[in-house]
Amino acid sequence: MANPSPELLHGTLDALVLKTLAGGRRHGYAIARAIEETTAEVVAVEEGSLYPALYRMEKKGWIEAEWGLSELGRRAKFYRLTPKGRRHLAAQTAEWSRFAAAISRVLLTT
Amino acid sequence: MFWRPRVGDEVDEELTFHLEMRTREYIARGMDPQLARRTAERRFGDLGRMRTILHSLGTRRNRQMERMQYFGELMQDLAFTIRQLRKNPGFAAVAVLTLALGIGGTTAIFSAVYAVVLQALPLRDPSRLMLVGEIYQGAPHVMSVGNYVDTNVAIPDFDHGLSALNYANFNLADESTPERVVGARVTANYFDVMGVQPILGRTFTTDEDQPGNDRVVVLSHRLWVRRFGATSQVVGRTVRMNGVPYHLLGVMPESFDLTTDSEELWTPIAFTPQQRATHDEHYLTVYGRLKPGVTRRQVQSQLDAVAMRLRRDFPKDDETISFGTVPFVEQFIGDYRQRLLTLLAAVGVVLLIACSNVANLLLARGAVRAREIALRTALGAGQWRIVRQLLTESLVLAMSAAVAGLIIARALVTAVVAWSPSEVPRLEQARIDPVAFGFAIVIALASSVLCGLAPALRLSRRRDLQNGLRDGGRGSTGGQRDRLRAALIVAEVALSLLLLVGAGLLIRSAIALQQTATGFEPRGVLSARITLPVTVYNEPAQVSETLRQIHDAAVAIPGVSAAAITSFAAMGSGGGSNGLVPEGREPNAANQIPSTLRVITPDFFTTMGVPIVKGRNFNDGDRRDGPRVMIVSARLAALAFPGQDPIGKRINCCEPGPQALKTIVGIAGDIRSRGPALPPGPEFYLPLAQVPDVVWNWFRTLYIVARTPGDPSALIKPLSAAVMNVDRDLPLFDVRTMEQRLSGSLATARFNTVLLSLLGGIGLLLAASGIYGVIAYYVSQRTQEIGVRMALGATRGSVVRLILSQAMRPVAIGAMLGILAATAASRVLASQLFQVSSTDPLTIAAVVATLLGVALVASAVPARRAATVDPTRALQSE
Repeated sequence: MANPSPELLHGTLDALVLKTLAGGRRHGYAIARAIEETTAEVVAVEEGSLYPALYRMEKKGWIEAEWGLSELGRRAKFYRLTPKGRRHLAAQTAEWSRFAAAISRVLLTT
Repeated sequence: MFWRPRVGDEVDEELTFHLEMRTREYIARGMDPQLARRTAERRFGDLGRMRTILHSLGTRRNRQMERMQYFGELMQDLAFTIRQLRKNPGFAAVAVLTLALGIGGTTAIFSAVYAVVLQALPLRDPSRLMLVGEIYQGAPHVMSVGNYVDTNVAIPDFDHGLSALNYANFNLADESTPERVVGARVTANYFDVMGVQPILGRTFTTDEDQPGNDRVVVLSHRLWVRRFGATSQVVGRTVRMNGVPYHLLGVMPESFDLTTDSEELWTPIAFTPQQRATHDEHYLTVYGRLKPGVTRRQVQSQLDAVAMRLRRDFPKDDETISFGTVPFVEQFIGDYRQRLLTLLAAVGVVLLIACSNVANLLLARGAVRAREIALRTALGAGQWRIVRQLLTESLVLAMSAAVAGLIIARALVTAVVAWSPSEVPRLEQARIDPVAFGFAIVIALASSVLCGLAPALRLSRRRDLQNGLRDGGRGSTGGQRDRLRAALIVAEVALSLLLLVGAGLLIRSAIALQQTATGFEPRGVLSARITLPVTVYNEPAQVSETLRQIHDAAVAIPGVSAAAITSFAAMGSGGGSNGLVPEGREPNAANQIPSTLRVITPDFFTTMGVPIVKGRNFNDGDRRDGPRVMIVSARLAALAFPGQDPIGKRINCCEPGPQALKTIVGIAGDIRSRGPALPPGPEFYLPLAQVPDVVWNWFRTLYIVARTPGDPSALIKPLSAAVMNVDRDLPLFDVRTMEQRLSGSLATARFNTVLLSLLGGIGLLLAASGIYGVIAYYVSQRTQEIGVRMALGATRGSVVRLILSQAMRPVAIGAMLGILAATAASRVLASQLFQVSSTDPLTIAAVVATLLGVALVASAVPARRAATVDPTRALQSE
């Protein structure tokens, strides 16, 4: 399947999900929508990558899940950031800004 | 606790929800509902595959989380337990020490069992190695050369054929002092049959296993290290043994020193043609290695066929011959397997008693903690969670006990090895190694469950917990819990009774053995052995002259009141056995009386303190050229000539021709020659001066016995000096007082007796402290009730009686069960008992009385305390 959006760099999806959850608990669909809306649809989150990533991060203990009611009154599985996940997000963010700054220095210098 | 649905439902519901939300989104953007649904699904790609992936990820996640949770709780439990134990150091110390005693003892005996019984022999495939022998008294023993040779050629099912071995002593004399070495003459295939290779040089060839070529020797590792400094240049050297040079061929590996007293060198056995034709004279130890796929039974039928032919071909020597096999391992370990397993069982019983004591302690502590446990339950902890927490406590106790137990075991192993009879094979190899360590950990785990499970289940029961909350930690006084305590007392009493009966039976046997008259007077007698090698002493006249000189020199030692030379003293090795046929009876096997022979100088009887009960002793008149004379033991006289006067009667023995008939001139008192436990057998004596030339080779190793009114060990130095004076190449060996020989023959019995008594004592002590603990707890729980009783007019005496009757009921039941168990189990001791039945009522009665007495004392202390309760104060505390 052709992917029209820019390729997500390895590990970036994890960071985006964690960042999204930093604002509070969300279910899987809401996470996807939030990323899409924030990036103005530049990044289309593929379901095929999102859910395995969620399950993996749950196993790593970065996020935890609980069942609750969605805004439309349907039962849904909500994810929430754990303290361990918050620490990982901070580390990832720092890493990213160092990386982005370095790339920018190369690409944007005339 | 998390509420966690099955992974499959979780995945389905989550994905369905997502699809619905997406579809809704697309419809909201104006898509046709059907298209919206399809588009949403397409974003997932293969939905089935996605489900599978998420399912496996979810399962793994759940497992991981369970582990984390379990581990977290374990850490919590551990931290909590350690906190609790530090708050109660007295309880912790008593529990750990009790268990450590059990675990340490069990581990120590286990390491002995491992070294002696379980450890594999360092031979190739030892299970196929068999001792092959002529059946004698129901078991295969040694073989004659002729029978060995004929069997060897007739049976093809042994790898490398049958090997033969004959133990022999060698006087090793080179630059350093002469030394007596136990060696073996073996056939060339011996090392192949045993399955060992030399570490240096080679073993001998079939050519060297021929008369005339046989002056070659292979050393054991032990002798190589001790005598040759473990240098590799020994191969090719010449060693002087028995006065002649031997060519040194090789050295065997250290692992082939199977025991500390196994043979130290090997030379070829080199049968002469005459020897090959001899079917009498049974002295060869024969081993065979079964070929792969061949069973003992197959070999047995071949042996039976050979035996049948031998019976036909050699009716005189082989009239009743039959052959049998015994696995080498079995023959090697002997009856120590059973003795050691008995000890292991005994020490296991001590461990069980220790466990029930600790279970009791845990129960008592649990009663104090009832309120805390009730609180935890009220806060949502499940029963299993509480059980786990309580088991963690017993686990921590048991693991600490394992550490302490290993320290105890190390000390015990050292003591047992140093102190045990030296003939137990391989015992010196017992040590606390990884195997013993693993064993200690496993039994610690087992005992933590054993002592912890029942209390944990009991304490975590909901009904009891509600009581626990209500009566504020005073503990419930329900009969249920007391029944468990009573059951523990029953078990402890029964188990220690079992141990004490075993110990009691062995002690009674030991006393009986000590009091058994051996038929000779061991006090004040020194005994030592010498060998006159054939290579130096090959003239009979030269031999008798040398022996006369040695005898005279021994008698001349100041302080010696009498001294004699004999082919066999008593206890230990030496001595021949002959089948005697009284004159006038057919010389066939049925009429033979197998009797122990001693060739002696006349002063043997005075030196050893054996009475001549009838007739006369030998004297200087009994010479080579005179008529052949013999003295028989009272037992032999009774067997050979029942109801008649044996003096003057004649017996056929020991040599061919007219000299074979020997006239009985005297009857000597019976001797228990093989130890006090064995009844005296038929024995006979011949004068050394009349030993026929043809059999001199049988008496090259002789004993010198000397009696002194003082300390016999003071004779050791002057005696060896006296012998060195006659021939400086003759070493004295096996020098021991007769009392040492006697006590040596009882060493194994004594070892088991002392150890079992020790274990019985420990069991009794543990049981007593267990009874005390339970009764003391009982009293403390009933202080109020006792107060009420006393306020209502009960006397102190009646209170004491009440408590004692409460205490003694489980003790009585335990004693009853213990008697039943003991009468059933003591049968395993039967072979170790002497003049005591394994269900000896006196021993059982004495043990029961001791146990009841100890139990009474243990419960009397808290009972007296109960009687001093002040009724008013007891009631006020309510």
